[in-house]
Amino acid sequence: MKSYDIQEMTDMIIKQLELRLKGIPEKAKPTIDEARISDEAFNPTNRLVSSLSERSELNVPTPRSTEMLQELRDATPARIGVWRTGTRPLTKEMLRFRCDHASAVDTVYGEVRSELLEKYELFQIETQYENTENYLKRPDMGRLLTDESAKRILKHCKKGAQVQIVVSDGLSANAVEHNLADVYPALLDSLQALGLKAGTPIFVKGGRVASMDHIGEVLQPDVLVMLIGERPGLVSSSSMSAYMCYRPRKGMLESNRTVLSNIHHGGTPPVEAGAHIGTIVQKMLEQKTSGVKLVI
Amino acid sequence: MDEQWITSVGIDLGTSTMKLIVSRLRLARKSSSLGLPRYEIVERLLHYVSEVCSTPLLSEQEIDVVHVSRWLQEEYRKAEVTLSDIKSGAVIITGETATKQNARQVLHSLADKAGDFVVATAGADLESLLSGKGSGASQRSLQSRGVVCNVDIGGGTANASFFQRGRMIATVTFHVGGKLIRLRPSGEVVYISAAIRPWLLANGYLLEIGQMLSFEYTREIAKQLNRSMLEVLSGDQQSSGRLLIVNEALPEMPHIDEMMISGGVGSMIDVVQPKSLAEMVVYDDIGPILAGTLREEAHPFTFRLVRPEHTARATVIGAGMQSTEISGATIHLASGVLPMKNIPVIRLEDDDIKKTIEFGLQVYDLDACPPFALFIPLMKVVTYENIRRLSESIMTNYRQLVPQCRTLVVVCENDMGKALGQALQLRSSGEMTILCIDQLKVDFGDYLDLGEPIRDTMIPVVVKTLAFQSG
Repeated sequence: MKSYDIQEMTDMIIKQLELRLKGIPEKAKPTIDEARISDEAFNPTNRLVSSLSERSELNVPTPRSTEMLQELRDATPARIGVWRTGTRPLTKEMLRFRCDHASAVDTVYGEVRSELLEKYELFQIETQYENTENYLKRPDMGRLLTDESAKRILKHCKKGAQVQIVVSDGLSANAVEHNLADVYPALLDSLQALGLKAGTPIFVKGGRVASMDHIGEVLQPDVLVMLIGERPGLVSSSSMSAYMCYRPRKGMLESNRTVLSNIHHGGTPPVEAGAHIGTIVQKMLEQKTSGVKLVI
Repeated sequence: MDEQWITSVGIDLGTSTMKLIVSRLRLARKSSSLGLPRYEIVERLLHYVSEVCSTPLLSEQEIDVVHVSRWLQEEYRKAEVTLSDIKSGAVIITGETATKQNARQVLHSLADKAGDFVVATAGADLESLLSGKGSGASQRSLQSRGVVCNVDIGGGTANASFFQRGRMIATVTFHVGGKLIRLRPSGEVVYISAAIRPWLLANGYLLEIGQMLSFEYTREIAKQLNRSMLEVLSGDQQSSGRLLIVNEALPEMPHIDEMMISGGVGSMIDVVQPKSLAEMVVYDDIGPILAGTLREEAHPFTFRLVRPEHTARATVIGAGMQSTEISGATIHLASGVLPMKNIPVIRLEDDDIKKTIEFGLQVYDLDACPPFALFIPLMKVVTYENIRRLSESIMTNYRQLVPQCRTLVVVCENDMGKALGQALQLRSSGEMTILCIDQLKVDFGDYLDLGEPIRDTMIPVVVKTLAFQSG
């Protein structure tokens, strides 16, 4: 072990104490991971307005208390304290709002890159959605696999797995792009730590939540975990949900599904979510149920 | 279902008095049912309050342990609680009592007798923090913009804590208290604390044991004592009150908007107003006259005096009701190792695990297992890659540098305890006992007490800020 001389140790102690007295957080260096998480690198449409996509500065010209206003704003991602001109919003705030809205709309039309699916060796299938327009109009078609997809999983995927993991773009391919690299390996680790066995991982394109029932019908797993992109909103367009079900089969009631939602870097922390899903799956296997009857 | 009560106890062994409270803390789920579970203490109820009793001493130097233990048992009986009910709490030894020869021994034996997870605490900083929380100063500062200063004046010391927006921003302790000068009913001085002699001298008070004090002279000393302390608190660098400071003087005092006075002396403000020697010496000390002159002395200063919620019992209420925090509810726990007490904290510096562990081993006891808890401060982004690298680095270095200890304690500020814990577990080849808890903010120099799991998902934690700093 390396030993320090007295001078060096004293310096370190003083440095630590100074830091805590001043309360200055260490300067965080931007990493590759941060680039993945910031929207710019992934969403080229946002690059044009990157100056707008950051949170607005304080617009209120003479707040009674700047700190308190800042405290309120830090408490929520909602658009508060944005100020006004006459009776209307400021132009830049209006642009920001429309920019976020456009980004939400774009997300619905996005696609998950095939490199990502290949990296995690996801078996690719699709539902009867046909195209995005139809997907939006006909939720029922996003709940059923095409005949070919059903045949392919029956032939190539493990049947009767203890845990079947399914990933789907749903309404936000962005969600998969942003969060899969954190949620999925953490989930695999937690299954391994708990001694649970996963089947062949599947990616279903154009999936609705209930497509898990069809997959469950075909592959008969004990528990199915579906990681699916959520309907985009004005705060985040890359939020993911994990729907979990004990023995999902056709005709499953919605109340039998357990969900962990709002998974993204500003909401439910993705890595911790992945780790926690393992615990929920274990409870489902122990209690042989899911949804409202599951005691967590 | 989503609610749980835990019983917590607070015991305060002060210079002149001791007291105990039993409180009930309600834990409730604060996160949405669609999110990760997160529990918080949402309600703190005062269940039982003991009488304020005199601290039994065998001599000037020693506390009467037997007497204190008997009192404790009796109070538990009156409060109708049994040892197994008590899930959390703190014993605090305050003021001059902390300097008694057997103080530390009494503290630990009392903590053991008070319940499985009742922790021993001492140290002026923590005492100030707890009294400021117990008096209501911390809460009040949340409702205003300015700084609320609480001064808890007891028998031996006065603990000042400055709160802003609910957080303690500074603390300073003075040798100011009722029992620093003790008198006979005749006015004869029987005791002068060595701690205030330099101040007495600097102000030209020539006091000796055996001397007879008049009411007027004592009142003059009390007024000056209050004034000196208030001068220092309001930022006067020249005041002779600086001679009364126990710990280090602050380089700059925060500007005070409101002040609360708690403690035994605080409880007598506006209640007693001694006008003669006989009225003054009811406790054979200068406590009543300190209280009687404080409001008048505070008048010229710019801050307002406000009434605290609790006075004499502020510290014990802080210790019993406010000392416990709850960890995050998605954490990694090993069975059978909790509770753990008095684990020092080291803080990860410059992302260098090796250097941080080496530093920890130089500062803290090598033979203790675990020698310390590793704190990982807030990370801006938590990715799987971060967790993987962190867990590999911690496991490799800990095994290499601390080969004799198979227990590892990690505390994270981010909500990532379960993910990091399981990553560490997977890399430990099953040979290590790993505790990885999260959503707690601690720092280098703090000591941690970790309680038994609640519902197998979370643990109560007491963070002792710079405890035993002055030894």
